[in-house]
Amino acid sequence: MSDTRFLDQGTPPARFARGWHCLGLAETFRDGKPHAVHAFGTKLVVWADSQGEIQVLDGYCRHMGGDLTQGEVKGDQVACPFHDWRWGGDGKCKQIPYARRVPLRARTQRYPVAIRNDQVLVWHDVEGSAPDHDILPPQLPGLAEGEYTDWVWESEHIEGSHCRELIDNVVDMAHFYYVHFAFPTSFRNVFEGHVATQFMESKGRPDKTGGYGDAELFLKSEATYYGPSYMINWLDTDYKGFNTEVVLFNCHVPTGPDSFLLQYGIVVKKPQGMDDKTANFIAQKYAEMFGSGFLQDVHIWKNKVPVQNPLLCEEDGPVYQLRRWYEQFYVDVDDIAPEMTDRFEFEVDTTKANEFWQDEVAENLRKKAEEDGDPHGPDGDGADAGSPQVMTGT
Amino acid sequence: MASFVPTDADTLEDQRLYTQARLTEVACLDCLARVGVKKNSEHHTSVQWNAEARAHCPDLARRSGGRDVHPACPRMLASIEAAARDGQIPIGAEDGY
Repeated sequence: MSDTRFLDQGTPPARFARGWHCLGLAETFRDGKPHAVHAFGTKLVVWADSQGEIQVLDGYCRHMGGDLTQGEVKGDQVACPFHDWRWGGDGKCKQIPYARRVPLRARTQRYPVAIRNDQVLVWHDVEGSAPDHDILPPQLPGLAEGEYTDWVWESEHIEGSHCRELIDNVVDMAHFYYVHFAFPTSFRNVFEGHVATQFMESKGRPDKTGGYGDAELFLKSEATYYGPSYMINWLDTDYKGFNTEVVLFNCHVPTGPDSFLLQYGIVVKKPQGMDDKTANFIAQKYAEMFGSGFLQDVHIWKNKVPVQNPLLCEEDGPVYQLRRWYEQFYVDVDDIAPEMTDRFEFEVDTTKANEFWQDEVAENLRKKAEEDGDPHGPDGDGADAGSPQVMTGT
Repeated sequence: MASFVPTDADTLEDQRLYTQARLTEVACLDCLARVGVKKNSEHHTSVQWNAEARAHCPDLARRSGGRDVHPACPRMLASIEAAARDGQIPIGAEDGY
């Protein structure tokens, strides 16, 4: 027997997760045109009917396979560009203008839709179950009442990684230091039912400037996945005494066996007495920070391999328990084992990590001061520190 | 039907070690809930509930939903701290688990 640790890459799942998946902001689909969204190994067509209700069908016409996303919206229906077959949001073909009657079997795949937080969510289940509205993500209080800034919404298509890589971040305390240049000072997880949460308190790294670390930034983050793909991240930030309530929505939809569309949106609670333009500017700045944070993750994902048997040290978070929780979305409902949904709580001991990181940062600052020819070390704010890098639940 | 399938039997043993090994049963001092607890250090705590324990906890049952559901029950946390102080929970990890 060899003492060498075997790296088990496992085999990826043959299905896509069951649950609600976000396709984007509802407004983007309300321009009277059909839209394409790649998802679940196919292409979906998304449009708004004459009442403004969002409808979602499989993007390929059941007649001769025409691409409905390149068709037209006619009344309440989407019309295929190939032979003008008209499809309703209920999945039925409503009209074939050149034919006496529509075949009875002219039904296509429809995706039940719910609107939450101004976003289009669709229900996906390979078992074909009815949508479970009880497990929809919560509506952000105050959002509909105008208490938040306008949306900043971004998309990034990730190739070559299964979306579980993104999920793993929920428990990955140490990567926040190494990948995102923040110090997590407190880190906890709770998983229960279809919900998984990360609580984190952190501060920026003073040895990373130029839009990365910033020692002046303190952050309390609460990031919750509601189901397999939709995370709400409440971020209370304190930057030089200026408190901001940022809410990050981080969601994805799988597009293939090892690719997914990552989308994230930011709103910021409008500070009292601040005009909308300034508040929107702040939201834009935070969105840029989160965007660069995601790209830091993406770089890691693109170059790593999947690991089915992570080797953990005692300061690591509960990767195995998180994956046990995540498994519930990939098995038939009848096969969900109690331990996948039973409540589980975990507190990471960050003591040792923080001792070591404090020393490492101090050493980096000393070296930097030497290189800069400043015997007294860095003083005051780092020059041109730019925007602080804010760490998110991902 | 499994989804992410390990290709090695040792992976199943790893899953068992990290999720089930070294759990000590701790009873809540205020209700009938019993949970499995592991402590790799003074500050680290891992708490495994099951459906029966969850049904006993009046604090968690009171939670109304939304952000409210997530934090731990303070009575259970206090019970775990007391058990650790009394030496009922072994403190220290074994090779990372």
